[in-house]
Amino acid sequence: MEGVSYQRFPRVKIRELKDDYAKFELRDTDASIANALRRVMIAEVPTVAIDLVEIEVNSSVLNDEFIAHRLGLIPLTSERAMSMRFSRDCDACDGDGQCEYCSVEFHLRAKCITDQTLDVSSKDLYSSDHSVVPVDFSDSAGYDSSEQKGIIIVKLRRGQELRLRAIARKGIGKDHAKWSPAATVTFMYEPEIHINEDLMETLTLEEKISWVESSPTKVFDFDPNTQQVIVVDPEAYTYDDEVIKKAEAMGKPGLVDIRAKEDSFIFTVESTGAIKASQLVLNAIEVLKTKLDAVRLSEDTVEADDQFGELGAHMRGG
Amino acid sequence: MELGSLQDPSKATFSFVDEDHTLANAVRFSLNQDPRVSFCGYSIPHPSDARVNIRVQTTGDPAREVLKDGCQNLMLMCQHVRSIFDKAVDDCRKNNHMEMETSIDD
Repeated sequence: MEGVSYQRFPRVKIRELKDDYAKFELRDTDASIANALRRVMIAEVPTVAIDLVEIEVNSSVLNDEFIAHRLGLIPLTSERAMSMRFSRDCDACDGDGQCEYCSVEFHLRAKCITDQTLDVSSKDLYSSDHSVVPVDFSDSAGYDSSEQKGIIIVKLRRGQELRLRAIARKGIGKDHAKWSPAATVTFMYEPEIHINEDLMETLTLEEKISWVESSPTKVFDFDPNTQQVIVVDPEAYTYDDEVIKKAEAMGKPGLVDIRAKEDSFIFTVESTGAIKASQLVLNAIEVLKTKLDAVRLSEDTVEADDQFGELGAHMRGG
Repeated sequence: MELGSLQDPSKATFSFVDEDHTLANAVRFSLNQDPRVSFCGYSIPHPSDARVNIRVQTTGDPAREVLKDGCQNLMLMCQHVRSIFDKAVDDCRKNNHMEMETSIDD
């Protein structure tokens, strides 16, 4: 491989990892890479979501399309999505997108027969595939485990009924936000904060305290024992420039030097529950790799085309 | 994705269909790291079209090969991040597990 000398290999450090939340550092790389990763996580990692709804009976207060929309937005467990097919290029079913390789069928039947309002929730959806089911939040949140709380779809009063069949398909967030596996993905530059100690010593006690308090987030603190200003949490800094403005207003420009380290990023990834946060990052890298492969392969086809020379031109109708 | 170039192979514009800033900006970055590249930039001619044009001019090598190497480098980096992320997740899980065990012991 030629020309690899300029290449850098990034480093990763995980700070916190839960099923639906991840916080990690990505160092020795560029904003374009970090941003590509973020964008892919939000808009191009596939998941499964309800895409087609056939309503048999609906006597609820919500109209059919309203319910169909709500069903679409329910996150479904999508570990299988990476290996599933998009209905549009599935050859097992002739384009109707209703086979086992590209879709999952759901049924919902609910009727209220008491005087008490019936909550129809994602728990009432019955899936044809046990690996693709509505996301269950009951264990993570502070709900009572006996109280099964799904996502409410509609409320029914006495005599009202809802009966439907739904088809869930693979898709990406670019096509519709319901397919986005990410609740939020953000990255920030790691700040480097240096206090000019000599200049800081020229400040009075009150000035130091008022300067520390000028920061809207708790980045600095005043140590009453040593009478010094210390940096307690550089990452709480939101690049708001308030402390810099305050220093200037106090006639002490250059009191603090804050720089963004342009090659280290702190990512926070929150998943909708469709995919685990850690898996989301890995899938995003996989998707990005597929894209790069597509570029290289399409170039190969051009090359192959060139090799055919006149024949290639002839085949193209030239 | 298609290729549009003139007689001189060291200068070319590549048009990627169904791609956006996600890929184009990363590729542009990767190419600008390459010492053989004298210019690289990209544009999205119209926001309603799913298309990006990437212009590559080199110091002599064929632009197509340089673009390919740029993609290859990004791939390698993706592979690298993937493997170290995998490892970091494992380490993190292991540590959490140990913490839980010690807390049970306490």
